[in-house]
Amino acid sequence: MANPENAVMNLPRRDASDKLQGRTRYTVDRMLPRMLHAAVLRSEVASARILKIDITRARQMPGVRAIALAEDAPGMHGIGIADHPLFASGVIRFHGEQIAAVAADTYQQAQAAARAIEVELEPLPAVLTMADALAPGAPLIHPDWNNYEILFEGAARGGNIAWEATVIRGDTDAAFARDDVVVVESCFRVGRQNHVSLEARAVVASYEDGRYHIETSTQVPWTVRNMTAKLLGVAASRVRVTVPPVGGAFGQKFDCTLEPYAAILARKTGQPVRLVYSRQEEMLTCLCRENADIKIRSAVTSNGEIVGREAVVLMDCGAYGGEQIFLTTMTAHTLGGNYRLGSVKLASRAIYTNTAPNGAFRACNGVYNTFALECHTDEICQAIGMDPLEFKRLNVLGDGDLGATGQVFEGDVLGPMLERMARLREASPDKKHLAGERLYGRATVVGTWFIFVGPSTATINLNPDGSATLVTAGVELGQGTMVQALPQIVAHELGIHPDQVIVRSADTDAAGFDLGVGGGRTTVSVGAASRAAATDVRNKILTVASELLQTPPEKLVLRNGRIEIATIAGSGMTIAQVVQRAHAVIGPVVGSGSFTNPGVTAMSGCAAGHFIDAIDIPVFNVHDCEVAVDKETGHVEVLSYKVVQDVGRALNPRAIYGQIQGGVTQGLGYALHEELTIGQDGCIRQNSLETYRVPLALDTVPVEIDLYEGAPSIGPLGVKGAGEVPIMNPPAAIACAVANATGLRIQQMPLTPPRVLGLLMGNESVVELPHIADNWWDNVLMNPAHR
Amino acid sequence: MSLHLNINGDDRLSVKDPLTPLVDVLRDEFFLTGAKVVCREGFCGACTVLLDGRPVMSCLIPVGLADGCTVRTVESLASVGALSPLQQAMEQHDAVQCGMCFPGMMISLTHFLEHTPNPNRDQLKSALTGNICRCTGYERIIDAALSLAAERSSGVQRDDHGKS
Repeated sequence: MANPENAVMNLPRRDASDKLQGRTRYTVDRMLPRMLHAAVLRSEVASARILKIDITRARQMPGVRAIALAEDAPGMHGIGIADHPLFASGVIRFHGEQIAAVAADTYQQAQAAARAIEVELEPLPAVLTMADALAPGAPLIHPDWNNYEILFEGAARGGNIAWEATVIRGDTDAAFARDDVVVVESCFRVGRQNHVSLEARAVVASYEDGRYHIETSTQVPWTVRNMTAKLLGVAASRVRVTVPPVGGAFGQKFDCTLEPYAAILARKTGQPVRLVYSRQEEMLTCLCRENADIKIRSAVTSNGEIVGREAVVLMDCGAYGGEQIFLTTMTAHTLGGNYRLGSVKLASRAIYTNTAPNGAFRACNGVYNTFALECHTDEICQAIGMDPLEFKRLNVLGDGDLGATGQVFEGDVLGPMLERMARLREASPDKKHLAGERLYGRATVVGTWFIFVGPSTATINLNPDGSATLVTAGVELGQGTMVQALPQIVAHELGIHPDQVIVRSADTDAAGFDLGVGGGRTTVSVGAASRAAATDVRNKILTVASELLQTPPEKLVLRNGRIEIATIAGSGMTIAQVVQRAHAVIGPVVGSGSFTNPGVTAMSGCAAGHFIDAIDIPVFNVHDCEVAVDKETGHVEVLSYKVVQDVGRALNPRAIYGQIQGGVTQGLGYALHEELTIGQDGCIRQNSLETYRVPLALDTVPVEIDLYEGAPSIGPLGVKGAGEVPIMNPPAAIACAVANATGLRIQQMPLTPPRVLGLLMGNESVVELPHIADNWWDNVLMNPAHR
Repeated sequence: MSLHLNINGDDRLSVKDPLTPLVDVLRDEFFLTGAKVVCREGFCGACTVLLDGRPVMSCLIPVGLADGCTVRTVESLASVGALSPLQQAMEQHDAVQCGMCFPGMMISLTHFLEHTPNPNRDQLKSALTGNICRCTGYERIIDAALSLAAERSSGVQRDDHGKS
């Protein structure tokens, strides 16, 4: 077996040159002969009954070729529960909901015709906040929820509660009743974050030989294939999905969204149909990181032992369950992560509201759960008079410790990472002098993510020129996996240069099933499948070479594009020659590989409503930042930012640094100025980049990075996904540092100048969350008697 | 009526309505899809092109106003298949991720470095404030541009054909 160290290199991106020259053809750049353009008619109210839809006038408008309506898509989709129709059918549930889609010769014609569709509505009361949705007697957003198809069993649901995932381990009642503990309770509220992928969601669909061909900007080609088929009521085998380079996704494209509209219109017209959402549509309906309300209570002894913790996390899923149904699972591993807990009760609930549906966003609820957990931790330290760093060193999860759901952690990782951060802090002088007259604060925070690996597969054709063609359903979003990690892994196995590994772009007609690109799983799962396929190929050519070289396979090595006798450099022959020989004796050389992991099981009876029991691969972070807070304006400046990240093995360190700088910057945006809010009409207020402020070049700081290698991982060559997690800790780091600088209790993000100024002046109202009951059991549908 | 434009050195005639945004003429009529439509409101900079040598957001320029003008797009920066020195610096620093912002970034920075050959970090960041990047966190783009400026001022010449 070759030394895994040999796979490590700063391989440059093969797609950089074309991207720099504007030659890369993203989905938005695709044009086909006879291509039509589509536009979607959306609701301008949050809740209503549809009395009539009349397309007579629209149908006669110039250039119009087809109009798609609810009857064209009989199916319902969802994760865990099929609650989502493609078009509003019968009722409108959110401002921006799709009512009809039009295909016309030009986009302007399609828009004009969409506007000409006559819709008669009867207003219904709208439930816009989670507090309203949970209030007694609240209107039901899905009155028929009981009849929906269940796609995943085991969760409690009811009323406006789309999904409930719980963790119960140990006896928290006893812990809170102890007379030697301090009880600390904290409440937090966070808003929505928009991905602002520069390439909007986009698709070009065609209908060819009785099948749908969907070219789309997605992270999940197989989900798009299966969901489109389900919504259209056709066999999944009749849908082919291919994926051009994707211009940013960050979780936004981890679901099937606009593809079915274009597919229906392509079938109706027999022409290719392009549908690209406008920036305004992206702002108003983007499948954001959800807004959330969080209450945490902990019972802690005076020497810093956490004997009991209870928490409730309310996640606003909007009008349909979407990814939030799945993401309720993550609370156990993010809010329930970082620290050893004597006993714990967690409830994580997805709540329906009459607002735009939310979705997945890089590290998902891990970002705000970590913000809440670390702020709460600092509040605990204040209550018991202990230094937060000392508290963290004492309590972080280590080898053999139990996680929230009772799974056992392997290896001491967070502890040594805290030491590495201490050394990083010592290595550079603090930036306090830059604060000047402003308030100065600093914080070091920890975070836990976990990678759900799930199924992936890969095929490799070893070509007679000695190159290898790797076929997977992986997608290049900008994260680099397809152009760096995967070719590096395959090349390492085959003893060739990564440039000799051709990576096929995703095509569901060519590659087998894959769960999709997200959560940090691609390098791990597609990587493991690719490595297995490479091993398969390797064994085949070793057999052929063994005969040619009259040497047993175990004495042969693959290196420098050759198969050589291990002890004699330059001996043997080229891989190309062996493959050519194979053509004559066994036929062309092809290998396949598959990967999944059944998952670590939770302690029996401990977790309910979870899609995954426990951790496949934990990924830990330690972040540190210094801030200056301007007392006059409330402006927070980040003076320095440091990251120690658990990466398993860094296959391409430079690429990981790029992911960390980018992920931290997105996290700083969420911490400091990115927020979507919802108006009285149920419409998201920030409808453009003028009112939704993403980080600009002047907002960033260079992140100082130390990669922590060597933690246990089931990933190929010991890797862990590195792109997902850098966004997890910046809001926690900023909030704790601002709290330290000002002495204020931080309960909300983002920390915009008006909010910070309001806090400094005592004008900001305290977040109390009366809709989360004090007694944990009053927050769950599960009955204690039925446990 | 048709409009005369010189695009990347070629004389072209546009038959589009003069109110059509320049970016749509470039992309849909002349198939120059380097300039990206991201916000259509002038905030993101992904559609930046040089109009008579000035960087403009081509989503905000009706093509009628570009009649008789020269337009330079990202497609013109590399010559005969070789990246410009700025593009080479980006490639060497592994600055690119999804790549959607880079066409606009390259135009903005090319223009800026022509007029400010020796910028400091803050000047470079200011020059990029009109170009939103969602992937990279900017710092490496700044590093790459600074390294190019430093190379130039120290006399190391990198020509337009990829040889140092």
